[in-house]
Amino acid sequence: MTRAAPLRLLIWAGSVAAAIASAHAQSPTPGGMPPPPGMSLAASTAMRFPQPVRVGDLVGRDVLRPVESQDVLGRVRRIVRDHNGRIMVVVDFGGFLGFGARPIVVPIDAMVLLGQDMEIVAYTPQQLRAFPTFSGAGVSDAAGDTVIKVGLAKPSH
Amino acid sequence: MRSPFRPDSLPDPAILDNHRPLINSLERRGLLRGGLSLGALVMLTGCDVKRPEAVKSALLAISRLNDDVQALLFNPNKLAPTYPASMILRPPKFNAYYDVMNVKPVDGATWRLEVSGLVADKRPWTVQDLQALPQSSMVIRHICVEGWSYIGGWSGPTLRSFLEHVGADLRARYVAFRTADDYPSSIDMATALHPQTLLATAYGGDTLTDPFGYPVRLRMSTKLGYKNPKWITAIEVTNTYPGGFWEAKGFPWFAGL
Repeated sequence: MTRAAPLRLLIWAGSVAAAIASAHAQSPTPGGMPPPPGMSLAASTAMRFPQPVRVGDLVGRDVLRPVESQDVLGRVRRIVRDHNGRIMVVVDFGGFLGFGARPIVVPIDAMVLLGQDMEIVAYTPQQLRAFPTFSGAGVSDAAGDTVIKVGLAKPSH
Repeated sequence: MRSPFRPDSLPDPAILDNHRPLINSLERRGLLRGGLSLGALVMLTGCDVKRPEAVKSALLAISRLNDDVQALLFNPNKLAPTYPASMILRPPKFNAYYDVMNVKPVDGATWRLEVSGLVADKRPWTVQDLQALPQSSMVIRHICVEGWSYIGGWSGPTLRSFLEHVGADLRARYVAFRTADDYPSSIDMATALHPQTLLATAYGGDTLTDPFGYPVRLRMSTKLGYKNPKWITAIEVTNTYPGGFWEAKGFPWFAGL
């Protein structure tokens, strides 16, 4: 047995210890749960401690799916107001490596903030695929320094 | 061709016969077996479902050794990198051992911070008491054990100024925290006295909001995210190892960066 062997063994055992610890990193409660059936999007956002955020700070953020693999669903392209004045998020949705994505419009209350990213919690990817492609008609851009309130979620991993 | 490493005078071949039993015992396999015995033991006990606690205790002993090494390497005067205020993420990233919907906001008006253990003054603190201490600010990176990070701006009194104010025994080993969300935590005294260890009451210049630990949470530049309890309700100075929420589940206690 060389002199280095005990050291190597220590490092190996240490990495096993770290692996065991990270197996517990799964938190007991998952984050980004969809709204309970029958609850309005606004009511579900109210449960998620909505926080003020600048509209301009949302543009360009990755939009994730609230599952452990945190698949990237798309990217925030614009924040707009619909004809009722409601804040909507134009998401470049789908595609592969940025190619083939198409814009869809998702209500802000269907989404949550996740640090630097956002998540769509109220719709599954299957539902989002059925969303019509955003044409740009009937909406107006929300000014970059508009402050809106968006709900939170804990990371889904 | 004759090997250039071949010695000029060869040893007497009889030497092999003289030491035959010794040579027979020199097996490479034996060496391997010897070298792996501890690792093999760990692996075998890992397979033994009847005694998983044996594996756990062996690995926890190594984790504690890692803690001791990190404590030894910790430089109480070295500052972690800081960033310009323009890089502060607003709002910060939420995380807890439960989802945000289960956050139980704390009423700042009735909130009291209990102080116990090796301190001279055990009077409970109010929000106004904390605001009366000298305030510090820092823009630091929050690094989570899960692999993500963000830059946040935190303000509040340093834990050092708080401990000095209550007359804590600064030679004690641990500072322990209890919280409103039942997330016990504890840190070493050297880190508690580090200039970038704050009892944070504000983020980005505004009072902390409910999901981020109002009225007070711990923020350290020198430890992983899970070492920063939110909604603190009690601080104890002690020499008895207090443990913590994730630490009880096998996470490293020192968790230095």
